[in-house]
Amino acid sequence: MLKQKNKQSNVDIRDAFFDELYEIAKKDRDVLFLTADMGAFSLERFKRNLPSQYINVGVAEQNMISVAAGLCLGGKRVFVYAIAPFVTQRCYEQIKIDLVCMRLPVTIIGAGAGIVYNSDGFTHHATQDIAIMRTLAGLTILNPADSVTAAAALRIAYKSDSPVYVRIDKGKLPLLYDKKNTFSDGFSVLKPGRDLMIITTGTMVHQAFEVAEKLLGYSIDAGIVDLYRIKPINEELFLGAVKRSRRLATLEEHSVIGGVGSAVSEILADRDVVLPLKRIGITDKYSCNYGNREWMRKDYGLDIENICKVLVNW
Amino acid sequence: MDIKGLKIKSLWVRRQVLEMIAGAKKGHIGGAFSCADILTTLFYSGILKFDVKNPNWPQRDRFILSKGHSAATLYAILADLGFFPVSELKNFCSNNSILGGHPDRRIPGIEADTGSLGHGLGIGAGIALSAKINRVKFMNVVLMGDGECDEGSVWEASMFAAHHKLNNLVAIIDRNRQCVTDFTEDCLSLEPLIDKWRAFNWDVRVVDGHSHEDLFTSLGDFRTRLDSRPLVIIAKTIKGKGVSFMEGKLVWHHSVPEGNSLELARRELS
Repeated sequence: MLKQKNKQSNVDIRDAFFDELYEIAKKDRDVLFLTADMGAFSLERFKRNLPSQYINVGVAEQNMISVAAGLCLGGKRVFVYAIAPFVTQRCYEQIKIDLVCMRLPVTIIGAGAGIVYNSDGFTHHATQDIAIMRTLAGLTILNPADSVTAAAALRIAYKSDSPVYVRIDKGKLPLLYDKKNTFSDGFSVLKPGRDLMIITTGTMVHQAFEVAEKLLGYSIDAGIVDLYRIKPINEELFLGAVKRSRRLATLEEHSVIGGVGSAVSEILADRDVVLPLKRIGITDKYSCNYGNREWMRKDYGLDIENICKVLVNW
Repeated sequence: MDIKGLKIKSLWVRRQVLEMIAGAKKGHIGGAFSCADILTTLFYSGILKFDVKNPNWPQRDRFILSKGHSAATLYAILADLGFFPVSELKNFCSNNSILGGHPDRRIPGIEADTGSLGHGLGIGAGIALSAKINRVKFMNVVLMGDGECDEGSVWEASMFAAHHKLNNLVAIIDRNRQCVTDFTEDCLSLEPLIDKWRAFNWDVRVVDGHSHEDLFTSLGDFRTRLDSRPLVIIAKTIKGKGVSFMEGKLVWHHSVPEGNSLELARRELS
């Protein structure tokens, strides 16, 4: 475990992910990258140096998934890329039938986990994607929180024999892991907590560290679990890690309906584990307001102050 | 197989489809009949290359039934060819059968899971592109319904295939002029359909979809065509073709013949 505040990454989480893809694609010429006209800084090198493995399919996400399925049937290792809501919700049925039902190991890369695209509005927000993707049997969902996990997510997806969905955030996020981690457990206890365990994912892991620090001022010892693999969850391992805490909270930049909070509550219910659980996320509403991410989080009640308030008053 | 043989085979296939749907008390008989001559021509005239003993033979031509609701027709043919026992046909849509109402890849000879319309052409385009990249010469044939062309994804795939010059991809449209509850031109006009496909930069051919000669001729050069464009064959068909009282009648999209109508249909298909 590393102290979150001590290690600021100098690599954007997207660059870490796509640089890893580039390295793999250089060695494996069967790797194809399909984009629905979506770019990224670190993709320029891929496009320039491996042009035959880079296909812009145009603004056509549904066709991108079907074509990816066909390419995979033809022996290719395919990664598809677009803004997260467009590459999940717009083409959900293609994912369900062409990839999941046919059990094809295509990797779906969604840019802009949660409200990365803040003031672009709710058309661009990925706040229901976990909910709908979680219902697809055999799909793995990864949500890296730092550049190390992002690169690992790419490697995990590349080696997978079934479809994978990776939600990618943006920015240079503090490092949480060292490169030796195999990420096989699907989650990691980044901070132990006697009174409360905050189970979170993606960029909210960093928010959770701020929350945990503030909670100390209220004599609440809060731990943090990074659920970087939202599906499948190793339930026994997960319960073993969290059930010693007196209470659980889930924290996500996603709807509380169907997200990480739902996943955790399902495990507790199915396993007859009685533990108080507070789900913190986006309640059943859309914000049609515009602002930067920090402002949008406040609008949704996901700012540090409000999260602490909810947990202290619980 | 010669034209006479194909005609006999089409009759046999339609009779199998009739018995499968009557036995299961469900199925899409109208569309299954409208594409029967297209499928028999593809599978029995030597147009498609495949190996029954090795269904995953890498060099095989790929056929995708994008109008998956016509599965019964394809099942009858695949069984007759030996991909699985003919005796399995009687279990169509029954408990624990391998043959559901729409095809899936677990069935020998089936390349893709279909049933929801508008997926097959994109999948076919992806396989065709992989063949181009790998410099493999097999062909890819996708059969779509005409109502299926209402789906926007068909046109996304159409643009993609033309852009990538996938001349190893052939789309066949079963132009029976009907969708589920209506005539195509009365709910969402497809015409001018030829112009649409031409405008999307496809090589367009129009044939009588019940003439084995026409179908064979139009597909005869599909492997050697000197054209960089993908090929679309608009096959003019009649929904319910082969049973006079079903032909062109909307009600036979997925009605099930029973009693007198079943006996009449049997007589016409004997």
